[in-house]
Amino acid sequence: MGRLNRDAVIAIVLLMACGILFWSTFSIRAPDYGQLKPSTWPRVVLGVLTLLSTIYLVQSLRRGPAPEDEADKDGDGPPRTPGLIGWILYWRNPLWCFGLFFAYLATLPVLGSLIGGVLFVFTLMGVLGGWSARNLVQHAALALISVGGMWVIFTYGLGVILPPGEIFSPF
Amino acid sequence: MILENIVAAFGEIGTIETLGLMLVGVAGGLIAGAIPGFTIAMAVVLTLPFTFGMPAPQGLAIMVSVLVGGLSGGLMAGILTGIPGTPSSVATTFDGFPMARKGQPGLALGIGVWSSFSGGMISAVLLVTLAPQLARIGLEFNPWDYFMLVIFALTITASLSGRNLVKGLIAGAVGLLVRTVGEDEAVGMARFNFGNDALLQGFDFIAVLIGLFAFSQLLRDVRDPESAKKSLTERGTIHAKIEHRAAIREVAKRWTVVLRSALIGVFTGILPGAGGSIANILAYDQAKKASKYPEKFGTGIADGIIAPESSNNAVEGGALIVLMALGIPGDVTAAVMLGALLIHDVVPSPTFIAEEPVLAYSIFIAFFVATFMMLGLQSFMLRIFVLVTKIRMYMLAGIILGFCGIGVFAINNVEFDLWTLLWFGILGFVMRQFGFPLAPMILGVVLGNIAELNLARAMAITTDISPFFTRPWSLFFLIVAIFSAAYPLFQAHRAKRKWTLFYMPAACFAVSVPLVMMGGIPRPILATLVAAFGAYELWRRARNGWQLAETQGDEIVEDG
Repeated sequence: MGRLNRDAVIAIVLLMACGILFWSTFSIRAPDYGQLKPSTWPRVVLGVLTLLSTIYLVQSLRRGPAPEDEADKDGDGPPRTPGLIGWILYWRNPLWCFGLFFAYLATLPVLGSLIGGVLFVFTLMGVLGGWSARNLVQHAALALISVGGMWVIFTYGLGVILPPGEIFSPF
Repeated sequence: MILENIVAAFGEIGTIETLGLMLVGVAGGLIAGAIPGFTIAMAVVLTLPFTFGMPAPQGLAIMVSVLVGGLSGGLMAGILTGIPGTPSSVATTFDGFPMARKGQPGLALGIGVWSSFSGGMISAVLLVTLAPQLARIGLEFNPWDYFMLVIFALTITASLSGRNLVKGLIAGAVGLLVRTVGEDEAVGMARFNFGNDALLQGFDFIAVLIGLFAFSQLLRDVRDPESAKKSLTERGTIHAKIEHRAAIREVAKRWTVVLRSALIGVFTGILPGAGGSIANILAYDQAKKASKYPEKFGTGIADGIIAPESSNNAVEGGALIVLMALGIPGDVTAAVMLGALLIHDVVPSPTFIAEEPVLAYSIFIAFFVATFMMLGLQSFMLRIFVLVTKIRMYMLAGIILGFCGIGVFAINNVEFDLWTLLWFGILGFVMRQFGFPLAPMILGVVLGNIAELNLARAMAITTDISPFFTRPWSLFFLIVAIFSAAYPLFQAHRAKRKWTLFYMPAACFAVSVPLVMMGGIPRPILATLVAAFGAYELWRRARNGWQLAETQGDEIVEDG
């Protein structure tokens, strides 16, 4: 990437986002009343953000391809091996968390918060902690007790109607 | 009148149910604070979904209880394992852990507990006495002043919360931008919804907070697969019995350290953006400087535990003073408390204490009661702490993520909030990895609409923008914002560049101008004193021949 370090790339992404959002402020309708148009404040904020992103870009370019990119990485664990596989292996736990939470939300209308929640916590613990027989029992118990307990508190204690899903509400 | 309010507030929170829930809250806070990687703000924000269905005084009393418990919980892990439970108890480990290693874990814990209690009580007294006074000053604020106050809060938070000011300011601006999504509050026009109806309501502020803070923090905690499988018990010995009598004697003998550290804590809490993570280090440093035996610090002495623990418990009293008097949260935890008030349709402002005295005094009393509960619960919670630390990090993360998946939905009964939680969890995680501080962003999200509404009000009164620079309070906040923005630059160049010699005197002279403009008697006197101090600093530097090294003795505090 030549002189582009990670910070410079972030600054460019921010500037592009500012450009897109600034352009979209022109589609905000302005009423006939009120001194401050609805688009004024977002434009002020975007102007400031654009200025700051430009300063950030200049700072990053001046620094050049710096070893700081590596220094910023999470301090725990062994260093990351290069390449896409290395990147996936290094970030596998957060990626699992994101992926499983995404799956939980995507299946929420079908499974509901109780079944979906128990499955989410059980699967997440499995992928993070391992699938040994002892773990399976422990994780299943923890998932049932924690999500089940919270479901009971919210449903019966606080009167919140949590998503029942299609399995629990077939009618 | 005050007595009536106190009695009414006692009536609100003095029920068996509320006291029982407060006890659970303090216990939960103690445990959450004791677990490294689980911050106090996280504990408080996760409590929010439980409280929205309760009456406002009860819900807020529980949140205050979690807060007070969390502030004290950090010391257990810090003293017994050497790993601070929260950033607020980092300095506690400097002497707490060595004292425990020397065979006195019970005394170290006792000193920590009683220092926390003392700091909390001093802070609670100041909260009750100062908040109404500050609210009276707040009544002088007009929309221009409020707008500038928000800008000041964001600037100082950005300058204190990271190594790179620009990244901090970008985070703050992104926070302000996030709050503009959806219908604007002034005239109700849709903004940045890109045709999506769900976005018309904007991002729910609590879902954003939980995503940015709790979700992203949990992902960091489990990032390393090996560390995620470890439990705290593998890292140290955690068997001890708190020695209360000996600890009370040690703390009482050092009451000046307690008082000084608590005042440092309250002051740091009042300052927007500066929280317990700064206060405990600052108090430790001051105690060491004032000590007759500074060389003993770090070897396991009582002073080294008393100073950070008194200050970190006093911080939230300070943050609540500003929140309750002006409606401006001093730190992330106070921002969550603001969220709790908003959920109950209470908008903190200078008139809050006058208009909602029962609720305000309920918060004051809850702070007192929770501090006493914390004292009583510590010994019992130590045993629970031993059990909790046997649970592995990934299990706690899984359970809490599961809770997020239910709790966030419960706030508005809207599935879109869960998606907000996920996207902001990812955003928070990425921002942390790229070195962007989250505190300015969170304050940006919280204060965004306050800034816009006040700007709209100011523009409705007059389209002339000069009041932003000519009204005393507005000018005051603008000047302080400029100097706080320049502070990281000053820190980086001090003792290297000549201009840094003029930073402090220039700040004093500049601040004294709006103080004089405010009129009356006390403020011009204060302005004269501030200007005189600036002149003295200038004279001192001139007398030393403008030597750069001369300023090195001054305080430098930065939140790592």
